[in-house]
Amino acid sequence: MNDIKTHVSPPETSAPDTAEQSFSADTGFKLFAALGPVPDAITLFLDDQPIIARQGDTVAVCILRTGVPYNRLNPVSGAPRLPYCMIGHCFECLVEIDGIANQQACLTVVRDGMKIRRQLGAPLALKHPEV
Amino acid sequence: MTQDNIPPYDADVIIVGCGPAGMTAAVELVQAGCSVIVLDMQPTPGGQIFRNLEANLRDSSPSGQTLLDALGPAYKAGAELIQRFRTFRGIDYRPQTTVWEVRPDGTVGWLQGINAGYVRGRQVLLAHGAMERPVPFPGWTLPGVMTAGAVQTLLKAGHLKPTGNVVLAGTGPLLLLLANQLHQLGIKPALIGRTDRFADALSGVSHLRPGGLLPLIKGLGWVARLKAAGVKSVTGLKDLAAHGHRKVEAISFTANGRQQTQACDLLIVHDGIVPSIDIPNSAGLRLQWDEANASWRPDTTFDGQTASSLPPELYAGRCVIRVTGDARRIGGADAAMAHGRLAAQSILADLGRGTGPCSKAVRSVRKSLSVRPFLDAVFPPGLSRALPENDTIVCRCEELTAGNLREKIRSGFRNMDALRGETRCGMGPCQGRSCMVTAARLLQEHTHATACPPTFRGRPPIRPIPLGAIANLSGLDPRATIRLTLEDKPEHGVEETVDVPAE
Repeated sequence: MNDIKTHVSPPETSAPDTAEQSFSADTGFKLFAALGPVPDAITLFLDDQPIIARQGDTVAVCILRTGVPYNRLNPVSGAPRLPYCMIGHCFECLVEIDGIANQQACLTVVRDGMKIRRQLGAPLALKHPEV
Repeated sequence: MTQDNIPPYDADVIIVGCGPAGMTAAVELVQAGCSVIVLDMQPTPGGQIFRNLEANLRDSSPSGQTLLDALGPAYKAGAELIQRFRTFRGIDYRPQTTVWEVRPDGTVGWLQGINAGYVRGRQVLLAHGAMERPVPFPGWTLPGVMTAGAVQTLLKAGHLKPTGNVVLAGTGPLLLLLANQLHQLGIKPALIGRTDRFADALSGVSHLRPGGLLPLIKGLGWVARLKAAGVKSVTGLKDLAAHGHRKVEAISFTANGRQQTQACDLLIVHDGIVPSIDIPNSAGLRLQWDEANASWRPDTTFDGQTASSLPPELYAGRCVIRVTGDARRIGGADAAMAHGRLAAQSILADLGRGTGPCSKAVRSVRKSLSVRPFLDAVFPPGLSRALPENDTIVCRCEELTAGNLREKIRSGFRNMDALRGETRCGMGPCQGRSCMVTAARLLQEHTHATACPPTFRGRPPIRPIPLGAIANLSGLDPRATIRLTLEDKPEHGVEETVDVPAE
């Protein structure tokens, strides 16, 4: 993983580049499964990959639906994090949404075509050994 | 500038939060002819308990029906209130709006998308609810550890259910309720590890009031159903730890006197809920310590009236903030609705439009809260009971361990703000929401102080705001609001330099 430009790069230059970063339906990491088919799905982009969402979903729900192993790396140690409380208290679900960093994914409702980026920049810039 | 030039209030009452308490109060106030603004973080009314209820009731798909059945009648019970709330066009309802400042004079700072501003109410009612008690244990920051409330939110608002090895650990009605809901959705938890013990249940009996019988029967039913389904369960769980490389793979714990391990993909933790004090604390409201619940709560009268802890030379006016619902006392949806009505009636009296709470409203609050002593005794804080070992992370944002904090406390950082300034504990994005209570208890462990433990001094903005939004703040009229500077905060001058050891 060497994509240090996650926060600043234009979308087309930063595709996920390791097995762990990819999040197809069969990564084996899925903590959650959909209760049923997703009706009237809209499309968002998570690190440039198209993902589906229901109208009214929060971004955090969509992130967990994909099975992505983390939405950010803690800037102190580089440790991976996923949403923890889902109600706006813990701030673990921070992501970049349409170019604005540090958005709470659990409080942000999806819009068609929304561009979400995981926050991996700080630990990479600080060259944490974990990353 | 004379008083006449002060711009008018934006509303008679500003309500923060649109759960059972906020909605009930809003309806009561609007019916009495008040103008009301309701600010809420969520996209739809209902609060956490009735989260996404409107959409789920409209969902006629088979999976939608299965979900409604699993969530049960207590969830659907919110439909009538939400519908009533929606009916009143006079309620200025502003969803997806966060509150980042509240002042004792009724000024409220809001953020919606990239727009921010202030609104002023003659009265403010805080109905912002509760949070799950923070539970620092080894591995609680690993992906795959989530709170019970989070998993319920994913069910209600995300139509997502857990997969793989699911373990529930902790205590409280919500943990058992969620285990039952999961079971109804065809998920058999690998283990339910309860920190409460049979002895707690026995000690609870003496607190049992008639109002507690129904919840008791409900709870026993949940336990019985899980047992009948063959779900493995332990009580008296201690020493919980999550293990794994970059995600949870297993957990370990002590129960029945021996250490045990369990494979685990999703660890759902819950240690009861506590009033959310981020807004009251930053508003400079007086707090009190609730010993039985090991948590702070706003210091309020029965009808929710708060008191400002700002010194009189700064703000001599009346504090116009009330707190209601779980933000005041944990009591659940029924208690929140009862208190929302009571608080609204008190507000009406303050505004000269009523005679104060009716005896029915008072009785209904008392009755709905009467079950709490029983529940508090049966489900005492468990996962958070013992203070964390030195290598356990306390501050998730800044990754500070209990050992980091103990070392600084020993070396002389003996007040919360000095400790925060020195370590950055509480300075990350969550602004102390997850670590403050543990930091305060670690301080207490050293000082053996018995009074209400001090908090980090809360300062606005208590939620992140884009700089552009601050630059374009609307509704800020210096003539119409008290102005507070950093020096104006309570306790200024109390923070002796002796608390900060010389380098």
